[in-house]
Amino acid sequence: MINVQNLYKKFGTNEVLSDISTSVTKGEVVSIIGPSGSGKSTFLRCLNLLEVPTSGTIEINGKNLTASKKTIHKIRQQIGMVFQHFHLFPHLTVLENLTYAPMKAKGIKKAEAEMKARLLLERVGLSEKEKAYPNSLSGGQKQRVAIARALAMEPELMLFDEPTSALDPEMVKEVLDVMKDLAKSGMTMVVVTHEMGFAREVADRVLFLDHGVLVEEGQPIEFFSHPKTERAKDFLDKVL
Amino acid sequence: MNLDFSQIVPYIPFMLEGIWVTLKFVFFAIILGSILGTLLALFKIGSIKPLRWFADAYTSIFRGTPLILQLMIIYYSIPQLTGYDISPFLSAILAFGLNSSAYISEIIRAGIQAVDKGQMEAAQALGVPYRAMMKDIILPQALKNILPALMNEFITLTKESAIVSTIGYLDLMRRAQVVGADLFRNFEPLLFVGLIYWCLVMGLTMIGRVFERRLKQSD
Repeated sequence: MINVQNLYKKFGTNEVLSDISTSVTKGEVVSIIGPSGSGKSTFLRCLNLLEVPTSGTIEINGKNLTASKKTIHKIRQQIGMVFQHFHLFPHLTVLENLTYAPMKAKGIKKAEAEMKARLLLERVGLSEKEKAYPNSLSGGQKQRVAIARALAMEPELMLFDEPTSALDPEMVKEVLDVMKDLAKSGMTMVVVTHEMGFAREVADRVLFLDHGVLVEEGQPIEFFSHPKTERAKDFLDKVL
Repeated sequence: MNLDFSQIVPYIPFMLEGIWVTLKFVFFAIILGSILGTLLALFKIGSIKPLRWFADAYTSIFRGTPLILQLMIIYYSIPQLTGYDISPFLSAILAFGLNSSAYISEIIRAGIQAVDKGQMEAAQALGVPYRAMMKDIILPQALKNILPALMNEFITLTKESAIVSTIGYLDLMRRAQVVGADLFRNFEPLLFVGLIYWCLVMGLTMIGRVFERRLKQSD
């Protein structure tokens, strides 16, 4: 579903991603871990072209992402993204946050969009909040709305950029539960995370990035118990 | 003290009519200034270089020269260059609208840039086209931040509108001068229209507050 070949990203002279090649198959849940500044988020943001790669190719469902700027918003419609700081639209109600993009970008009728949005709100356990504005929600609730908002576009792939890092500890679980549920439903997911528990339990594969290099990848059981590289060992010693 | 307000009483309807005359062109100037200002602001933050240059040059010219000069140039040079006898009303709308758009574009540009970058990224990630994103997501949020600055600009425009009296447009200010010349007493009519200007600005301020409260709904 995703195929990344020789991806490089530079900010000025600073090389943030260096020769990354990997792929993700349909239904797979991939966790990207690594120290801060390792390029995890930049890599994820390249996957829907919020960052434009310096060189290399990214294919999503066989379509080259970097080839055309014109079709990019069509491709983005199939890729949901969840941000660390939620980025809900503060001037819209929760329900409007969910219906806005389907109506504007896909031309879905209001009644249909609202019906689907209500189902999604039920799924993330926030049915009673549909008329609330984002500023009145807790961090965990905001993130669940943000996940529902991304799902409202019925994407084939979901990207998560440290979705629990900005949350108070007691709210992490409610968000992870929604994500686990989503993984079970067969959604293809790429998750940048500091939650090693999530990576171990839910992910099918773990990618370990350090200094912009894909140092190691493998199944979580393997990776967490027998990391192959020194750098991964070092990192795991510090976080576990 | 030689003050006698009773003398201006017969002229009061004449001066009050000036409220409407002033408001009429101020209204159109604000509309023109806002539309043009928004466009210029979008040019300034956009990626098309010639448009950016144009918007910057435009702002620099209209902010860099006196408004009264711009008004005179429009009023006197258009008939001279094109033969079209432009009315004071139209000249006033043009001069004030064009001038104000330079200031408004700067206010809106700052407002757009103050909106959290994440808002744009969220909209992009959802595949929302640029136009819709600007109209529905970015500008409404920018508007909330810049409303006080924008009201300031509208208030300034309303007061500065008095300089159209110099091209013979019969606005509030001009009417006070006419009455003053008629009576050989200037202080009373000037004071009278001064009070009217103040009331107009208070009215504008109140409208601004109502808007501000409405935009705060989501807080």
